Amino acid sequence: MKAAAFEYVRPVTLSEACAILRADEDARVIAGGQTLVPMMAMRLARPSRLVDVARLPELAGIADEGAAVSFGAATRQLDAEKSTLVKIKLPLLAAALPWVGHRPTRSRGTVGGSVANADPAAEIPLVLVTLAGEVEFATADGVETCAARDFFTGPMMTALPQDAVLTRVRFPVWSGRVGVGFHEVSTRRSDFAYVSACAQVRFENGVCAQLAVGVGGGVPVPTRLDAVAQALVGTAMSDADIDAALEAPVAALDIMTDHYASTDYRRRVARELAARALRDARDAAIGAAA
Amino acid sequence: MTAPANFKFLSRQRRVREDRRFVAGKGRYIADINRPDALHVALVHSPHPAAKIVSIDADAALALPGVHYVLTGADLAKAVEPMMNGLDTPHVRRFPLAVGQARYAGEWVAAVVADTRALAEDAAELVNVDYEPLPFVIDGEEAYTPQSAPVHAEHGSNILLDRTFVWGEVEKHFSESEHHLSFRVTWGRNSTVPIETFGVLAAWDPWGETLDVWASIQMPKYADQIARAMRLPGNAVRVHYDVDVGGSYGVKRGIKHTVLVGHLSRLLNRPIRLIEDRLENMRAGDAHGPDRIFDVEVAFNSDGIVRSMKMRALDNAGAYAGRAPFQLGKPIGAIVGPYKIASVQYRAISVTSNKAAQEAVRGFGQAPTNYAIETMMDRVAAHLGLDRIELRRRNFIRADEFPYLIPSGTKYDSGDYHTVVDKVLAHVGYEALIAERDALRARGMLAGIGVAACLEPSGGNSSFEPLLNDKNTTTTWMEACRINVDALGAIAATIHTTSSGQGHETLTSTVIGETLGLDPETIRIVRPDSLASLPGNSPVGSRMAIMLGGAAHLAANKLIDKCKAIGALQFGCAVEDVEYAAGAVSHAASGRKLAWAELVNIAHRNFHLLPEGAQPGLEASHVYQVPTAGDLPTTDGRIQMYPCHSFEFHVVLTAIDPITGKVDLKRYVIGHDCGVVINPHIVKGMTLGGIAHGLGATLMEEFAYDDQGQMMSQTFMDYLLPSSHEVPQVEIVHHCTPSPLTVFGQKGSGESGYLGSPAAISGAINDAVAPFGVRFEKLPIRMTKISDAVAAARSGKA
Repeated sequence: MKAAAFEYVRPVTLSEACAILRADEDARVIAGGQTLVPMMAMRLARPSRLVDVARLPELAGIADEGAAVSFGAATRQLDAEKSTLVKIKLPLLAAALPWVGHRPTRSRGTVGGSVANADPAAEIPLVLVTLAGEVEFATADGVETCAARDFFTGPMMTALPQDAVLTRVRFPVWSGRVGVGFHEVSTRRSDFAYVSACAQVRFENGVCAQLAVGVGGGVPVPTRLDAVAQALVGTAMSDADIDAALEAPVAALDIMTDHYASTDYRRRVARELAARALRDARDAAIGAAA
Repeated sequence: MTAPANFKFLSRQRRVREDRRFVAGKGRYIADINRPDALHVALVHSPHPAAKIVSIDADAALALPGVHYVLTGADLAKAVEPMMNGLDTPHVRRFPLAVGQARYAGEWVAAVVADTRALAEDAAELVNVDYEPLPFVIDGEEAYTPQSAPVHAEHGSNILLDRTFVWGEVEKHFSESEHHLSFRVTWGRNSTVPIETFGVLAAWDPWGETLDVWASIQMPKYADQIARAMRLPGNAVRVHYDVDVGGSYGVKRGIKHTVLVGHLSRLLNRPIRLIEDRLENMRAGDAHGPDRIFDVEVAFNSDGIVRSMKMRALDNAGAYAGRAPFQLGKPIGAIVGPYKIASVQYRAISVTSNKAAQEAVRGFGQAPTNYAIETMMDRVAAHLGLDRIELRRRNFIRADEFPYLIPSGTKYDSGDYHTVVDKVLAHVGYEALIAERDALRARGMLAGIGVAACLEPSGGNSSFEPLLNDKNTTTTWMEACRINVDALGAIAATIHTTSSGQGHETLTSTVIGETLGLDPETIRIVRPDSLASLPGNSPVGSRMAIMLGGAAHLAANKLIDKCKAIGALQFGCAVEDVEYAAGAVSHAASGRKLAWAELVNIAHRNFHLLPEGAQPGLEASHVYQVPTAGDLPTTDGRIQMYPCHSFEFHVVLTAIDPITGKVDLKRYVIGHDCGVVINPHIVKGMTLGGIAHGLGATLMEEFAYDDQGQMMSQTFMDYLLPSSHEVPQVEIVHHCTPSPLTVFGQKGSGESGYLGSPAAISGAINDAVAPFGVRFEKLPIRMTKISDAVAAARSGKA
């Protein structure tokens, strides 16, 4: 388990990084390395060179943008988890972060790295899609943004061009009295989830005023269930309402299977975890309103 | 034998001396040992489960700067002998590299030697092997059929062993019994998977004509096997035992690795180092455990008394024979568990398949067998509507019936099963536990209680070898210790093996300290290399407390005898009138006394004061024979297997999420009786680790193969080991029934926990899902399967 030969560069500026990537199509960006390094050790990934972006100033910092909170792509997951801003403004991300890998991997892994890697079971992409966030990236041609729903195109696949550096990840902030729920299941805590689900709910005057719910893990890309939101906004979100609203959208999900968990398992558990996340979010929102 | 309460050092909560260096990160493991001129090895692996090796082209690899050599199986086979088989199966030949044919996906086909491991891996990719895929077989039952593709064509079939033992009047007991039932359970292929993979460094010295070997090894007769395979005299192989082994529990048997690097070192005249990476360890370390299907028939009466049992155990040994088939033999020594079952028919079948080769794993086959026996007891209880614990009580051997001869020829030394169960139930509050289970069920959880009672045969000898191989006449499995008192009076004692976390230095120093009445902290423990060692068989079969402890105690007694003889001459009295205590000898009648320093001085410097015929110096050795061992099997296949029998009784409460299937062990209690405990910390650590290991085997660990013959769980992403999140708090209830056979009454403990927890945890899950008419009969029981089965049962009812 020794990596194949590769070169390593640590550019000082973002534009330098973009230039290197444009010049070498087999170069790969590295930040925390928590996925890429094991892949390289098993020679499943064989980049010609690693472009280390972890210290680029353009990729640093958590920013309060009012209607959104954005993360420099190289923000360590553990720093995001410990951020008071995240706890106050992005309660759903705060609930998801402790499930990302393990504490030692979170101390190295980055927010942008998790998004760029696009594992279907990854928690940060699930929250990003559910909250309809966006991704910002740079190439030698300049900076572009991409809506999260368009960014993830398949398991481990994204709209990120080969020569791009993911620079920022932006999560919308909801105002008002918000409750969240996050659930995932795997044989061991913090393994790749068979299924995960998250929900964020805002209540006004005893009814649901705003809702987002998403499912990850058993699906090719994290999937936001807009039909569930449409069905539940304006209701008191009784358990029966939730179950009824989930039925058809979960039945329509494109579910993956493998040796460890059947399609039926993943669909059944997706429905259940989404219901639990919605109930938790509802209860928290009502509690916050009280 | 000293009464346990009077021990000064034994059984006391004293620190484990090895822990200091391990906790401080100062262990000396194989990867810490290197030679600057060493070359490194990487392996070329077969991608096919079975394939003819048509040709191997190494030109591109050899052209890479820094690459020294590429060895093929054909070349190696010319230079070394095949590795030893346990059974008499001469046509199941095995070399460290595949010769002519690859027999499992991942098998080593060629070895590349280079300046660094990374370079060797680069070069290994450039070795071009032309394969011709062959038919293969993965499933054990399929391999057993005559039409299956034989893994070793020259052997003629995949059957390594198919022998039926009948002990007692099985058919008579079956016909007399009021009830029969039969079932099948399957034990999945798992292992111990140590944190440290296997590693070895071999250095051939052409001037001394010796091969020096440092290895992360736990293997009996290791040096002998290296010498035999390399066609060297035994005294040309020097294994260094002062290497800390980072985990093993049976699997660190790297004989193929060692013969490979030994040969390369002799060939290239350079030290050669091979340290497995995780992929090599998982897919080709040949370190998988038993992979076993049990078909059990049981005959019993309405009162729950089990009269007789027929067990067919089919084990999938993988591509080569090795010692794996013996793992069907060892459980014969406790084939009836802790129960009075009057007769047994046991059919042991071992087959080859195109999976990786199997090796010894903690318990040497006993954990799967215990799982089958305990499932049987649960099934009988369910059939009769009896409480599972009450059923076991009715069948337990009673404390006053020891020594107890079981049908297969082993005499159990001692035990008090009823009392251990009473103590556990009192500790648990069994009625309250049932109420807790029912309350969980009322809240919508699946909840169940599991119980298991089982034995840990210990003091390992090798009686299964002559039992399963007529050509093998082994009747001893000795262990030894030598104690040397230097001219300044300090003590050094020897261990003639490596240790993989068992605390042998603590064991030996504690036993000698206790015997001599001297502080164990002052006793140094050393490990001579194999050329300077007394005979021994390494820590296998839960034996070292008994065997090394016994040897150390008896050697210390010889030292005491020497001291007494010196005293008798000085005191002018009979040896019988000399007392020894805490390093000094005395004569009660005269009040005279000789202190330790004076005894040492006489022994080392005053030959004129020594008794006639005495040798100068103060040292003693003892080579200890396994208690009860020494006989060959009877013609009807009866033999005393291991001498001592520890007992454990598990009670576990589980709560399972009815939708996700997630298993939570809410309460785990084990009653444990391993006789007199030498160091309580070590026994506790063994037991807790064993339960965690059994939890893994029950719920998550499996070397799974797909229908293309590829192993799917090659890394820790797919081979799931329990983490601290999954392992519950375990409460241990102690009991002590001393063994009458051992020097202090000690028994073995190295396999505790693992031997019963799979039965207990699977029993708890089956209790939890019983209301749905669901039963799991195959390990591991994945959470996803629980969920699927419960959902299917629910939709069937709807």
